[in-house]
Amino acid sequence: MLTIEDLSKTYPNGVRALRDVTLEIPTGMFGLLGPNGAGKSTLMRTIATLQEPDSGSITLNGIDVLRDKEKVREILGYLPQEFGVYPKVTAGAMLDHFAILKGITASGERRDVVDGLLRMTNLWDVRTQKLGTFSGGMRQRFGIAQALLGDPKLLIVDEPTAGLDPQERNRFLNLLSDIGENVVVILSTHIVDDVTELCTRMAIISEGRLLLTGDPREVIDDLRGMIWRKVVAKQEIAEIAARVSVISSRLLAGRTILHVHSADRPGEGFEQVEPDLEDVYFTILKRQPQAA
Amino acid sequence: MFWPIVRFEIGYHLKNPLLYVVGGLMGMLAFGAISSDTVQIGGAIGQVHRNAPMVIVRLLGMMTPIGLFIITAFVASSVQRDFERGTHELFFSRPVGKVRLLVGRFLGSMVVSALLFVGPILGAVCGNFAPWIDPERLGPFMISPYVWSFVALVVPNLVFMGGAFFTLAAVTRSMLATYMGVVGTLVVFGMSRALMGDLPGHTLSAILDPFGISTLRVQTRYWTIVEQNTALPELDSLLIVNRLLWMGIGLAVLALGIWWFDPARAKRARRVEPVDTGRLGFQGSLQPTTARRPPRPTLGFRLADNVKMLGHQIRFETASILRSGPFIVMLAFGVVNVIFATFFEEMINGTQSLPVTRLMLSSMNGGYLFILVVVVAFYAGESIWRDRTVKLAEVHDALPAPTWVFMAAKVWALLVVVAVFAGVGILATMGYQLFTGYTRLEPGLYASGVMLGVIPYALCAVLAVFVQVLTKSKFLGYVVMLLYLFLDDIYSALHMEHNLYRFPFLPRLVYSDMNGWGHYLEPYLWFTLYWVFLSVVLLAIGALFWVRGSETAWRFRWRLARQRLTAPARIALVVGLVGFVGTGAFIFYNTNILNEYLPDDERDRRRAEYESEYRTHMDLPFPRITAVRTDVDIFPTERRIEIRGKYALHNTTGERITEIHLSVSPEVTINEIELPPHAVTLDDRRLGYRICRLERPLKPDETVEMRFDLEVSNTGFVNNDPNDLVAANGTFFTSEDYLPTIGYNKQIELEDRNTRRKHDLTPERRYAAVDDLHALRNNELGADADLVEFSTTVSTTPDQVAIAPGYLQREWVEDGRRYFSYDMDTPIRNVYGFLSGDWEVRRDRWRDIAIEVYYHAPHDDNVERMIHSVKKSLEYCTSQFGPFQFRQVRILEFPRYRTFAMSLPNTIPYSEAIGFIARIEDEDDIDTVFYVTAHEVAHQWWAHQVLGADVQGANMITESLSQYTALMVMEQEYGRDTMRRFLKYELDRYLAGRGRDVQEEKPLLLVEQQPYIYYRKGSVVMYALRDYLGEDFVNRALARYVREVGFQDPPYTTSLELRAVLADEAPDGSEPLFEDMLDTITLFSNRVQGATWTPLEDGRYMVRLDVEAHKVRSDGAGVETEIPLDDWVDVGVFGADDSVLYLEKRHITGPVTTIEIAVEAVPDRAGIDPYNKLVDRDSDDNVMAVRKG
Repeated sequence: MLTIEDLSKTYPNGVRALRDVTLEIPTGMFGLLGPNGAGKSTLMRTIATLQEPDSGSITLNGIDVLRDKEKVREILGYLPQEFGVYPKVTAGAMLDHFAILKGITASGERRDVVDGLLRMTNLWDVRTQKLGTFSGGMRQRFGIAQALLGDPKLLIVDEPTAGLDPQERNRFLNLLSDIGENVVVILSTHIVDDVTELCTRMAIISEGRLLLTGDPREVIDDLRGMIWRKVVAKQEIAEIAARVSVISSRLLAGRTILHVHSADRPGEGFEQVEPDLEDVYFTILKRQPQAA
Repeated sequence: MFWPIVRFEIGYHLKNPLLYVVGGLMGMLAFGAISSDTVQIGGAIGQVHRNAPMVIVRLLGMMTPIGLFIITAFVASSVQRDFERGTHELFFSRPVGKVRLLVGRFLGSMVVSALLFVGPILGAVCGNFAPWIDPERLGPFMISPYVWSFVALVVPNLVFMGGAFFTLAAVTRSMLATYMGVVGTLVVFGMSRALMGDLPGHTLSAILDPFGISTLRVQTRYWTIVEQNTALPELDSLLIVNRLLWMGIGLAVLALGIWWFDPARAKRARRVEPVDTGRLGFQGSLQPTTARRPPRPTLGFRLADNVKMLGHQIRFETASILRSGPFIVMLAFGVVNVIFATFFEEMINGTQSLPVTRLMLSSMNGGYLFILVVVVAFYAGESIWRDRTVKLAEVHDALPAPTWVFMAAKVWALLVVVAVFAGVGILATMGYQLFTGYTRLEPGLYASGVMLGVIPYALCAVLAVFVQVLTKSKFLGYVVMLLYLFLDDIYSALHMEHNLYRFPFLPRLVYSDMNGWGHYLEPYLWFTLYWVFLSVVLLAIGALFWVRGSETAWRFRWRLARQRLTAPARIALVVGLVGFVGTGAFIFYNTNILNEYLPDDERDRRRAEYESEYRTHMDLPFPRITAVRTDVDIFPTERRIEIRGKYALHNTTGERITEIHLSVSPEVTINEIELPPHAVTLDDRRLGYRICRLERPLKPDETVEMRFDLEVSNTGFVNNDPNDLVAANGTFFTSEDYLPTIGYNKQIELEDRNTRRKHDLTPERRYAAVDDLHALRNNELGADADLVEFSTTVSTTPDQVAIAPGYLQREWVEDGRRYFSYDMDTPIRNVYGFLSGDWEVRRDRWRDIAIEVYYHAPHDDNVERMIHSVKKSLEYCTSQFGPFQFRQVRILEFPRYRTFAMSLPNTIPYSEAIGFIARIEDEDDIDTVFYVTAHEVAHQWWAHQVLGADVQGANMITESLSQYTALMVMEQEYGRDTMRRFLKYELDRYLAGRGRDVQEEKPLLLVEQQPYIYYRKGSVVMYALRDYLGEDFVNRALARYVREVGFQDPPYTTSLELRAVLADEAPDGSEPLFEDMLDTITLFSNRVQGATWTPLEDGRYMVRLDVEAHKVRSDGAGVETEIPLDDWVDVGVFGADDSVLYLEKRHITGPVTTIEIAVEAVPDRAGIDPYNKLVDRDSDDNVMAVRKG
């Protein structure tokens, strides 16, 4: 159980990345949704001992995350949103390098772990190739492999599915859910489906504020009967948006599909749809108070 | 569309902070060079003005190699940055045209590179107006030197560097390769500087230097002070050739590069090819993934695990440095450099030294290890910022390995790099030793020498890491480390001489083959320990503030540091601090309490005070020493000596003497001085002066006894300039060092004109004029004695031999010490020395004279040569000048802390750095061993028999005549050809010495403390006199001179008397010759303008020579006046096999003369003064090839 209380962070340039965030993250998959610049990465880096909040506290099973950083790192697996590699080192050697620094110092055991992870992420065949030659997807898989080293009890993955093709993404999500049974997994993403498919708990943050937390199914249920859809022509959008609360618009074959949040049928041509997490997400974002 | 490109390029570079930082630094450097003595570039010494045109030229010239790296960055960026950023397609697809674009950019980057020199030019100009400059050392402010340097040096250098590196960068598209080119250029530059070390290499050196600096050095080598202060170098052929050559290379390479450049190639440039793994996605997708999940490993975080992590990290970090390009480039550069340095190490007159290991170590220290500063500073930055640069930091930082593992691994890796560098240096120099056929390798010495030698670089590594941890960017860290390069100068500028605060520098370390690391080792190791403790503190601080994660604001770093301040960190800090303070206190106890801490300035001040306080007593009547009896106990391992002895003091003045003054070096502890009943009216221990007022005045001709009990001890260690005279093996000190002097001791006076002015003394050291009758009472060795009776006992440890002048009477062992008793049976000059060492002895004899050489066992290569030279010299001197006064000649080797040989009565101490390790193999090599030995043996006549009065010209008698004798002995042994080469070096050193005289040049006859005149010009002049007058004439005169003035009592002889004897023996009409050679500073400028030959009907060949000849007289500062020629000068014609077809003196009366000579064989070369007997500033144009006319 990871407990976050009153976490605030303002960057020197005035950006308020976190505003009094209080959050409980239980064992299992936890999805963190939010637009770019919402403070997701700041939150994750702070949990991953890499950043200092201005105020607030984080506790993980009794460990003070902000003070006992070493203890946290011992059980942490972290995949940053953006990461590089030493281009001239091979995948095998680099993973071995991380494994040692992870604390897997017995060489026999380490070989098993490294080999296992290379196979699991399907990098076994390219383990002797230099990382500089890897494609984006391969590099991402390598990042996942290193995050999984040493069976972390707290796994933080920042936008892990970026750069993976749909098939890879699926399989990766399987893997994560598998691990997520008895450890805390925090997954930040902008792909709403990732959360729907995987997470037992989720949170939406925007502009540093926690807007919503809960079970994805429950929050979707809360919106049931309130989401309406209409296919419109481009020139109609403005008129509709002025009248009702449009939460999203998306193009489909040259026409625009509008989703509207409303207790009653908002007008002619609207049909009720089964809400999904995306509707929740957009509704919540729409509802948020403008930054003070 | 052309000028906008140039403008854009300029604007682009103007935004680069590097331009301002480096320009500013160069400016500071130039300012420092002009306004202080701290930065020594340019050569403003003695009377050369601080802002003399030549100083400015040299200074700005040196700035181009300094700016090389940054200029390269500009030009390379101009051509490379599009490819780095992928904007090349944008630029090269425009209709600008390749040539225009490239030329525009080149011009732009050149303009900015030129702007870089605004820094040093402004700095130098401002230096002119620094308020603290002594106005006497400043000439008028002139614009011309700045313009000249800019046009003749900076611009051509920029064209070369810009062209070459623009092309290199364009063609290779690799910064690494470009910097390889830079290193290559520096190697060529280094080669040209190295070639300067030897006379025949000068022309090549002048052409080879891409920066034209050596060219200027060759061209202005003989410039006098006046020339340096007023003139700018002429654009003579050498300079023009050099400038055109390198500019041409630059432009040609540029043109080639532009022609070859193919922007399209970029599209095909190496791109990362994705590897097709065949199977995308994660394995196990069809089965439960758990089936393939690896076993749960055990994670370890105990110390043992951390040590394993550390070991791994070290290997990882080290490999990343050792495999990287810049390291390999710098290593290669270093190896080339060290080989060059080695070649010219301790070269004397073009003769190399044996490549003994200590020389290998010193060339490594000089030309190799210093590169480590750059390596270490560079890689400290690279390795600390690497993870952040490649965006791997977040992964690493979230791993559980402790912070100290990361940091320690980086420091350690740098230490490994230092070790690898040192190891390669050892291999290179050992290879050099073996390559040159030298097999006495000393692995132990290599190991200790290199280990000690790299300590400063290890400390520098720690400093670099510390700096990079604390600075906000790698670049800033580099700028701070750049300051490190000037740190030594900064300390000196601030007169910070105590090693306790000169981090991270260590005291001087000198290795002597005889004495090992000797007394230098202990302070070196203590200071090492001291800085190691500080390093622990720095590293602990570094670990506390190490950036881990994305927080770089100091607010958070402080917070994190407090979190990290756990027990181990506290222990490291406390241990470091306590150790640092503890060793510091111990060092301070040694340097400042056990011993007196004397900064250079203070030493000078005391000498100045001594002079101003006590010089007034110089002419008071004092008795003279007539007999010396000493008992000297040398304790080599304790570095202590005890001197007990007595002087017989005789009143030779004819007056009643009421006071006896004594000068005793302040280094000496006076246990007791006994004189007849007296009162000590002044006892100045600080300056070493004591006045004793006798209760009963000393009557004329009365003799009294003075007894003394003195001690010289060296306890603990000192900060700088340790006592080198008393060494564990190879003690050597003279009476001048430690024995009491009666009255004022002139030797203590400061020499350097500027130092004297600074301490409010007259700028010129007051030298008695040659006609100062009063001064004729005293000889050159001092005012307190004439000839003395001498006997002594010397004791030392049983494993050593102790030596003093005189003949061994008895040797015995008592109380575990070995005693030697020496007596002189004839009176000697009042100069003697004491030596103790563990030597091998080789004995020989010449007639009834015993010859002994006491040498350090491994230094036996040249011992036979020395003995041979002693024999030849004795033979020449006895046959030519008169009998030898002693029955024995001993040569004794002493450690290289001092590098001279010295002639004491029947005893010649000889430094291990000269002669003993000279490498004389080829017939062409000048046998310096033979020469130096002959010179010292000659002193037994010229000093110990004939000694001049203490007035101007005294050194002409002792030194120039000894040079002459050595030349004659050498000529008999090696022939005239060798002498000619030898004299070329002598002439060169005389002419080069003129511009560096800190006083003013004197004619030989009136020479003062000016070695370049009394040795070098002495050789040239005496050899020429011999040539004009004949050896018989000269030697007859000298023999007569010895007979007339040898062993004389006051008044002493002078150079005027020597001149008179020479003139008296010389043939009529020699007077003008004496006038040119001895009385004045006369220089010739002889040159062949044309030489042709035509066959004659009688089968002979007619040679027609057009010669140009000038003769000038110079004053002391070098202002020359041409005087009419009316001289007999050698004219020679030579055959193809170097045979002399014609060599006779011809009467030359005008500046241009045509000479016709008929010779028997086909002439090859011909010229005027072909053997460079006259003082001629350009000795290479005297001879030229003869063409068929």
